[in-house]
Amino acid sequence: MQISSHIGSQLVDLCSALLLLTCFAIVAQRRLSACVDLFALQSAFLVLTAALVAFLTGNHHIYIAAGLTGLIKVIIIPRVLKKVIARLNVKRELVMNVNVPAGLLICGALVMLAFFITQPILPLGFLLTRDSLAIAFTIVLIGLFTMIARQKAVSQLVGFLVMENGLFLGATAATYGMPLIVELGVFFDVLIAVLIAGIYTNRLQDAFDSVDTSHLTVLKE
Amino acid sequence: MLQAVILIVAQTIVLLAVSPFLVGLIRKVKARLQVRRGASVLQPYADLAKLFRKQPVVSTTTSWIFTATPYIVFASTLAAGLLVPVFVSRTPLDFVGNIIAVVYLLALGTFFLMLAGLDAGSSFGGMGSSREAIVASLTEPAMILSIFAIALTKGSTNLSTIVHKTALLEGIATDPSPYLMALAALFIVALAETGRVPVDNPATHLELTMIHEAMVLEYSGRYLALIEWAAGLKLAVFLSLIANVFAPWGIATTLAPTAMGIGLLAYLLKISGFAVLIGILESMFAKLRLFRVTDLLGVAFILALLGLLFFYILRS
Repeated sequence: MQISSHIGSQLVDLCSALLLLTCFAIVAQRRLSACVDLFALQSAFLVLTAALVAFLTGNHHIYIAAGLTGLIKVIIIPRVLKKVIARLNVKRELVMNVNVPAGLLICGALVMLAFFITQPILPLGFLLTRDSLAIAFTIVLIGLFTMIARQKAVSQLVGFLVMENGLFLGATAATYGMPLIVELGVFFDVLIAVLIAGIYTNRLQDAFDSVDTSHLTVLKE
Repeated sequence: MLQAVILIVAQTIVLLAVSPFLVGLIRKVKARLQVRRGASVLQPYADLAKLFRKQPVVSTTTSWIFTATPYIVFASTLAAGLLVPVFVSRTPLDFVGNIIAVVYLLALGTFFLMLAGLDAGSSFGGMGSSREAIVASLTEPAMILSIFAIALTKGSTNLSTIVHKTALLEGIATDPSPYLMALAALFIVALAETGRVPVDNPATHLELTMIHEAMVLEYSGRYLALIEWAAGLKLAVFLSLIANVFAPWGIATTLAPTAMGIGLLAYLLKISGFAVLIGILESMFAKLRLFRVTDLLGVAFILALLGLLFFYILRS
């Protein structure tokens, strides 16, 4: 039992490490459609992590949350975003507020910050998933950073979704998942948010012939 | 003492013999994937033999650095190779230096190549050297950090100890994540340091893109042969390092003849597998623009840093 739970905990850690890895890939990636693919991959790892936690702890309601994550974040949202990207005339992020190597270094610093902050909390948590909490916190911070560093609406949206993935991982890691009704509400919110943001991106494209959100700060043409 | 001498000789022979084969194998895989028949896997041996017989042409404007560099590069790479376990987990020179010595022996070769590129005063050589300096200065921290991540889990920077403990499943029990990150980082570093595709293209002499080829453009005859052989050797050193640190399966942990035989066979299989993988990757990806190389190497650095951080975070 001791050994199997040890291996289980290692597997959960490995899956959350892979989640973090895809975050860095998103930060380093300039092509918008590749960013969306990476987000889908990250969500797939999230499904895997949640399913693992569900299997190891016997909390079956996490399976449902994992299944919904798979449906919404791996299939539906990437499709919606792909459709939005197909309408755009610029397929890649040409100018960023922070260039890629500097962005990667900042994200490295964010990892350290998150680990430093969660260090006192970790020993208080559950045995199985407590290490993932630090990683979940990092993913939220990196998602936020992506929203700040990018100028295109689509990549900002991907940053928002990465933050949401981090929060889901955090909830799973800290309390073995939120009550199902809360999860359902969150999934619905995220789906609607993506749909609205998709429409808004299309409007942005029509109005300015670009999805650069910095146009929105200008009052006149 | 005798054992050590035999081991040094054996490992030198294996490394020198296997490195042109690796280069030939990668070319063959690429050719097959492009639906060409391609030259024989043994072609690099013939090339080297031919180059050694040819008379070198040396520009009158060059200094001693130009003629000394091929020997320095070849010797430093071979010395680095003798510090890396190849088919026996004990390295022949493990009393001389550890993994940090390997990194800086390879860096010494790179440094002299850069000087030689500048020495002839041609614009191509200078361009190649300047580009090589960018790549080398960015790969070094990534390589050192990824190696530290591994060294921490095994409690030693001595490669023999690291590989020996990994082969016998000893050392601090940690999660696989630090290993995974360090492996990914080291693989990117290996591609960049040996001038493979996403960073440099060894198959062309296009002035816009070449790095390594631009530096050695002035060389001919036996000097060129030595440099090409050293480049192959560097590839073999990196592949041996990755194969034995991350997958030391089958490596001989004793000096018994049968164990060493199995070790040699396993080693050849492992590095051939890596060479085929590199050939496939080179066919799949296009070369990056020079100023995008920093992005890739930034990723390698961050991966190595994460590996190091994960060692501390996930140790509980």
